Amino acid sequence: MIQVKNLSKEFLIPHQRRDTLKEGFIGLFKKSTYERFKALNNLSLQVAPGEFIGIIGKNGSGKSTLLKILSGIYQPDSGSVEVKGEIAPFLELGIGFQPELTARENIYLNGTLLGMTRKEINQRFDSMVTFAGVENFIDLKVKNYSSGMRARLAFAIAREADADIYLIDEVLAVGDESFQQKCLEVFRDWKRKGKTILFVSHNPGLIEEFCSRVILLDQGRILAEGKAKEVIEQYHKCNSL
Amino acid sequence: MTKKKNHNWHIIRELVISEFKLRYQNSYLGYFWTLVKPLLLFGVIYLVFSVFMQSPVENYAIYLLLGVLVWNFFTEATLIGMNTFINKRDLVTKIYFSRAALIIASTISSLITLLLNFIIFLVFMAAARIMPGPEALFFLLYLAEMYFIATGVTFILASLYIHFRDLQHIWEILLQIGFWLTPIVYPMTIVPTIYHRYIYLNPLARIIEYARDIFIRHHIPSLYLNVVLLFMTTVIFFSGYFIFKTQEKKIAENL
Repeated sequence: MIQVKNLSKEFLIPHQRRDTLKEGFIGLFKKSTYERFKALNNLSLQVAPGEFIGIIGKNGSGKSTLLKILSGIYQPDSGSVEVKGEIAPFLELGIGFQPELTARENIYLNGTLLGMTRKEINQRFDSMVTFAGVENFIDLKVKNYSSGMRARLAFAIAREADADIYLIDEVLAVGDESFQQKCLEVFRDWKRKGKTILFVSHNPGLIEEFCSRVILLDQGRILAEGKAKEVIEQYHKCNSL
Repeated sequence: MTKKKNHNWHIIRELVISEFKLRYQNSYLGYFWTLVKPLLLFGVIYLVFSVFMQSPVENYAIYLLLGVLVWNFFTEATLIGMNTFINKRDLVTKIYFSRAALIIASTISSLITLLLNFIIFLVFMAAARIMPGPEALFFLLYLAEMYFIATGVTFILASLYIHFRDLQHIWEILLQIGFWLTPIVYPMTIVPTIYHRYIYLNPLARIIEYARDIFIRHHIPSLYLNVVLLFMTTVIFFSGYFIFKTQEKKIAENL
């Protein structure tokens, strides 16, 4: 269950970064100029357990920021966020993959960060490796993996994380068709199991297939909310203006 | 989210394991370098002060080595720890877990190095035929205090380093100065008494001196001194943690 009330988040993007003393010092004499970028603007949202929600919108509309706030990576400027249940974020493929470590070592690290104990990882290890299809490459350093292999591995690990809420941000952008099929199977499985899912995507077909409700974000606000088809249509309208 | 509390220890453990693998896998001698560095430093200082200058400090070898190991731990823990958020920026910006766990994992890695170095120290002691008495167990307390001081300082450094990249240079210089203002290579006796109180403002100076008391003179420092040290450690650790907490929320955004 997720409850977001009046969430606002602003980023101050300075026109020149000041992280050395010299720049800071010289900068004292010049008034710093910022751009105030309002990523989220008084946004309220409620997600009931078991809902599969699609989030669509142009780049920069606030989708990723919303997910990052929900997972605790960013803090809101104002408003409240209430989350009941364990969250597993898929905010980018291979989160926390250390390129100099082998896949095996990364599975343990990544799995632990996602909330699994060593014992659980041991039990699910083979299942993860088989799903990702990297049996022969398990002791290879991840830096030598193709982006597709990394995607599959990351997904395989996250799939085993027993969370109640999954935040999925564009993870299907990378990956060949067989991988995409596998992901879809996982989504269907999650849907059956009644997991709560927030799905950010630019793919209207997927949104329509899986999402019971879709939210259209624009400039940090909810522009539309409702059934997939209608909201997607509205999205198209906005884009063609 | 209560599962998280216990899980942080699992995370710390995995991070420490990964840290070790990352630090040493591409070099041939690997971990050997970390152990050897303070010993080489010790060797050359010993050569200069004991052999060349014939320092009258008794048991100078043990005296010096103890100081070098403690200082080296502090230096390594803070310098490497300071960079933690920058080095692990992928972890910090893509997934949420206790930021403190990252720092703790880093300082624990340095602590493990110290412990391994310490074994070598004990070998030295055996060779010099100085057997540590039961009071040596007190050293465990100082070990813990060393750890909390280093971790507290690292909390502050790592949080501020994100905003001020100059901090790395400043800290390196402060460490250099600190090395000489702490009685590591010289005995406190050569320091004029009026300066003693300033030297002892440095908790590491106290730890090193008390450790020498224990191992060389077989003497436990007074209760008063121990309480003062404990107090200093507590203040440093909690203020470090507090400062870290005020910066914690902004870490991901500022990386």
